[in-house]
Amino acid sequence: MQGETTGRWQAIRSGFVATIIVWPGVAPFGMVYAVSALAAGLSFAETLGMSLIVFAGASQFTAVGLFAAGANPISIIAATAIINARHLLLAASTASYIRQSPGWLRAVVAFQLTDETYAIGVQQFEKTGGDAWFQFGANLSLYFIWALSTVIGSLLGALIPDPAGLGLDLIFPLTFIAFLMPMVRDRVNRSVALLAAGISVAAALWLPGSWYVLLAGLIGSAFGAWFAVLTPMQAPEEQP
Amino acid sequence: MSIWLTYVGMAAVTYAARAIPLLVMRNNPPPWLALWLRYVPAAVFTALVVPALVTTSGAAGRVLSLGPAVLAGIIGALVAWRTSNAILTVVCGMVSFWIIRMVMGG
Repeated sequence: MQGETTGRWQAIRSGFVATIIVWPGVAPFGMVYAVSALAAGLSFAETLGMSLIVFAGASQFTAVGLFAAGANPISIIAATAIINARHLLLAASTASYIRQSPGWLRAVVAFQLTDETYAIGVQQFEKTGGDAWFQFGANLSLYFIWALSTVIGSLLGALIPDPAGLGLDLIFPLTFIAFLMPMVRDRVNRSVALLAAGISVAAALWLPGSWYVLLAGLIGSAFGAWFAVLTPMQAPEEQP
Repeated sequence: MSIWLTYVGMAAVTYAARAIPLLVMRNNPPPWLALWLRYVPAAVFTALVVPALVTTSGAAGRVLSLGPAVLAGIIGALVAWRTSNAILTVVCGMVSFWIIRMVMGG
């Protein structure tokens, strides 16, 4: 029992620490979220409350805009559902690594799963195998910085410069590039990435919200599976 | 009060998207699904990277924008390819973004 508990703590800790790399990309936007939420007329408690209860960056920004415009709750909830539909795919992908862990733990992990921690988790699991506790630590790390930056943003208010103006919105894609490049050494993954690049750009330009992630993720990976079957050297499931 | 109720609704739809696959997929997935899921990370990572580099969101929605971010992304990709070091990739990408933007006078 002692060893199991220690291993658990170590996994939570290393997940937490591994996620610190995306803090500089997340924190400025948490602060800007807080500033725009207060400007839209939400109280401090309501501003922090959304970060703690909903915990989904892009949809929080959208909700703030809709609150400011006086939109009704149903349309705000519908917009949130559309923006966050991509999580279905991220969760399915994460599930394939941690499905053997207890149901309650997967239910906890699900609450805080984001684009960032999905990426942190997967690149770790590809190296060492799935670990729900590592994912939990990563999620906790992002939850912590998101809440903290919401509070700091509320305190500093208009003193905060526009992070996109500084180019800080590049930190995310650059981090993901670092995770992606080791994957595309494999021929199938390379063709998946090329196809997903084309689909995601086209869909980002012509479809609303973040449908482009779901669409490129589904079609790109389906193509990869098909391509892997066609090239038996790379396909693991070749037994009849 | 209706703000907090809206939060509950937002949290519910978000949690559903995050939780349903994680709770449903308990058993060994069928081979076709396992194979499909194997290629989800590369596809999703790409979708999170490429549009973020080549488009910008404005009042008129998202538009194509080929600027310093594209070059910074390419430099980041080269660094990642050579070193597999995430911190070095982010630092080199950001520094080259700022230099390119300064040179281009943006």
